Amino acid sequence: MLEAIDLRKSYGDHAALEGLNLKVKAGDIYCLLGANGAGKTTTINLFLNFIEPTSGTAMVNGIDVTQSPLETKRYLAYIPEQVMLYGNLTGIENLEYFARLGGHAEYSAADYQSFLDRVGLQANAAHLRVRTYSKGMRQKVGVAIALAKQAKALLLDEPTSGLDPKASNEFSALLLQLRNDGAAILMATHDLFRAKETGNRIGIMKSGRLVQELSTDEVSHADVERIYLEHMH
Amino acid sequence: MYRLIAMHETRALARTWALWAILALLVFAIAFAAWSGGRSVSRQLKGAGDAASYEVGLRDRMRQETAEYEAKVKATGGPYEFATVRHAPGQGPPQGTNAGAVGAETAAYIALPPTGLAALSIGQSDIQLDYLPITMGKSLAMTANAELENPVNLLAGSFDVAFVVIFLLPIFILAMTYDLLSSERERGTLAMVLAHPVSLRKLMASKLMARAAIILLVVTGLGLVAVLAVGNYLETPETWLRFALWIIVTLVYSMFWFALAVLVNIYGQSSSTNGTILAGAWLILVVIIPTLISLVATTIYPVPSRMDLTVAAREAQTAAEKNMDKSLNAFYAEHLEYVPAGDQRAMDFMTLGQASANTIEKALSPLYAEFQARRGQQQGLVQRSQYLSPAVMMQLALNEISGTSSERYEDFLQQAAKFRTEWNDYFAERFLRQDPLRPADYDSFPAFRYQPEPFSVVLKRLAPSLSGLLILLLGVALVPLPGIRRYQVAAR
Ligand SMILES: Nc1ncnc2c1ncn2[C@@H]1O[C@H](COP(=O)(O)OP(=O)(O)OP(=O)(O)O)[C@@H](O)[C@H]1O
Ligand SMILES: [Mg+2]
Repeated sequence: MLEAIDLRKSYGDHAALEGLNLKVKAGDIYCLLGANGAGKTTTINLFLNFIEPTSGTAMVNGIDVTQSPLETKRYLAYIPEQVMLYGNLTGIENLEYFARLGGHAEYSAADYQSFLDRVGLQANAAHLRVRTYSKGMRQKVGVAIALAKQAKALLLDEPTSGLDPKASNEFSALLLQLRNDGAAILMATHDLFRAKETGNRIGIMKSGRLVQELSTDEVSHADVERIYLEHMH
Repeated sequence: MYRLIAMHETRALARTWALWAILALLVFAIAFAAWSGGRSVSRQLKGAGDAASYEVGLRDRMRQETAEYEAKVKATGGPYEFATVRHAPGQGPPQGTNAGAVGAETAAYIALPPTGLAALSIGQSDIQLDYLPITMGKSLAMTANAELENPVNLLAGSFDVAFVVIFLLPIFILAMTYDLLSSERERGTLAMVLAHPVSLRKLMASKLMARAAIILLVVTGLGLVAVLAVGNYLETPETWLRFALWIIVTLVYSMFWFALAVLVNIYGQSSSTNGTILAGAWLILVVIIPTLISLVATTIYPVPSRMDLTVAAREAQTAAEKNMDKSLNAFYAEHLEYVPAGDQRAMDFMTLGQASANTIEKALSPLYAEFQARRGQQQGLVQRSQYLSPAVMMQLALNEISGTSSERYEDFLQQAAKFRTEWNDYFAERFLRQDPLRPADYDSFPAFRYQPEPFSVVLKRLAPSLSGLLILLLGVALVPLPGIRRYQVAAR
């Protein structure tokens, strides 16, 4: 579903990404690990066509992102570190707007409410202005947007950083639901524990390169941490 | 998709209280400016009407007296005579038989009729006379210049609707647009939106359409508020023609500010930087450049002051009195036909007056000509340098549309001068021939009929300002298009 082929991105003579090859299939939760500046966000931005690759291709559902950015975005949902919504609109209004932007005008008010219920947003919050939401609540709306959009692939950039353990756990549960529905999920994270718990595959990045890939069912929590730290030295 | 985003934008804007505050201020300012503009136009109309009917009343009384005199003459069989001196009532021919008395002691008040939109732009009309008294003897130079001022402020000077449109409307537009993209990028919603199948161009276009629609609505609404608040000549088609032009010009001006805000946004600076740049642009284009143009025009082309004219008039007067004899000789030399038949020259007061007025007029005319020339040069400079600032083009355009441009007034002055000659010649001729006026003559006094300029003339004079604004708008609007591709979506 998501595929990076020899993806490179340079800023001047500084290479943020040096030939990344990566594949995330439907039903995968692929966790990208790596130090600050390793190139995780760059990878995600390339899939979203927010930035142009210096060379190589990013593919979504077999379509080149730079060739047909609008087409590929129909399959994508994006949950950044902070899901940013329109503060003076309510949760439901935000959800409806983004769903419609994604081309889904078919939902009723009840449908929107049920998306918000599914992601566990407090029932009374849906009609409050988003300005009053906590970070956890906004991340939930982010997932609801992905649900409403019926996204085939999710790009998550440190979505749980700053969430309390319970919220983080609930968020992971939502991801598992989405995966079970057949979504391909690429998540950049610094949370090794969550990566092993939630993900089925892990990729470790260093200085713009993917240095190792793991399947989580083949390694223990301790292994993940050890291997990660080995690469960081 | 366009509709969806535009609706969303409108909703988001509608929930921004600051915009409502500015809009309320704008509506209030427009309504107030229109109301006070309307009042001053009504005052002007009333003033002209009152003055004219006062003079008509004077002449009616004179006519009444001549009618009585005529009846008496008919009854007694005496000759119908010319009043060479002022007689007590009932004794001898009344003043009304003396064309000089009628032509010089009563005036024909003529006024430039305001257009239906006159109240929307005071323009130069605050330094122009609302109405001119036309009398025999006194030249137009003397009457028209009685109120001459040195107009330091050739451009927006008074609080009128044009001022609100030129100064305040851009603030509303900039407040709505200065952070068009930058705020979404800073808040992170831009990335959220662009993760959906929407191109930046489409997003931008929709956001622009929403705002353009709001501007269209606001401009039309404000215009209607203004025109209806004034309520002059609403039944005249020309008023609505001018109103349509007003809307077009105001929209073009608004769109310029709008496009400028978009242009600044494209360069991807922060909202606060954009705000600062745009506020600076507003200050320079709306305040500084017009003031400088005005200042330069009045500095390099100073008009003779009112003092100069008064002094010159007085000097000429004294000289004329001193040379009463000489000026009378000179006058008769020029107008042999008026040399009274009979023994000696009629040394009556009015002949002398006519003669000395001629002398004063001659003495004043170079100053008046200089004044006219300087004013012309000032206006010319403003016309030529209007392209430096959309505010100046806008001011000139609005003056033209409202019928308060100096060109329209100039045309009126020419008509007035023609009428002055007509009036003067009619009365002077009959007076100098000592041909007594009969009551029936009162119907054939010259009457001023303002010849409205053809609308094509208005359009022609509007063309430079309007096309200047259009070219500026196109220039500013077309620059952003290529730039938008390079816009950085994600804030760093
Ligand atoms: N617009 C840009 N201009 C110049 N350099 C950039 C730009 N964007 C990213 N970089 C550089 O590219 C490299 C990769 O950055 P990236 O944001 O992808 O890292 P990351 O793995 O997401 O880090 P973090 O864990 O801190 O989020 C960094 O060295 C960064 O400085
Ligand atoms: Mg990052």
